[in-house]
Amino acid sequence: MSEHTTSATARPSTRKRYKRIAYGLLGAGILALWIGIAVDRFVLGVALYWAGGLGMGLVQRFSPVELYDERDGTISRKASQTTMNVFAYVFVLGTPGGLALQESGLVTLPGEFYGATWTLFGVFVVFGASHLYYKRRT
Amino acid sequence: MRNDIPDRRDETDESQADLAAAVEVTRQTINAIERERYDPSLELAFALADHFDCRIEDMFDPDE
Repeated sequence: MSEHTTSATARPSTRKRYKRIAYGLLGAGILALWIGIAVDRFVLGVALYWAGGLGMGLVQRFSPVELYDERDGTISRKASQTTMNVFAYVFVLGTPGGLALQESGLVTLPGEFYGATWTLFGVFVVFGASHLYYKRRT
Repeated sequence: MRNDIPDRRDETDESQADLAAAVEVTRQTINAIERERYDPSLELAFALADHFDCRIEDMFDPDE
């Protein structure tokens, strides 16, 4: 067949190979972290975990083929959008709801509630900032 | 979006993997386009049209 076909068979396997290397490095880092915790070498475990994560990033950045195509990007965007929508409902409804229950004396909110609320608040601040950034650029 | 990519692949005797590599996407992306579960970007639509030597509107039917 045409020259397209020659590269056709090579490229997917190359993409798969580099994906395996990338995820393998991250997996090895996570495994090293667990082992480090188990044998009480926490700092070494974290260092190896970071090295694995960094290695994954480097492979993704410098691999000779694109590891993800446009459909992967679309799927990620849709999943991110769904995640943000879910947490928007949790944040918008849950925060005042929880505070109202506390004020009414029905429940005593644990400290984790406030930690989660501030974390969600931070996430939405970052979302708003990046939304504004891309709105100006697009 | 409805398309005739499977017919065109049959004519050129190409597998989904062959076409995917030719236009530099994954085989799953070609499969999703053929099953009308994913609409390609303009860039990919042009690449597909170029590969099959036709116009985009000959390959895709937006009214369906």
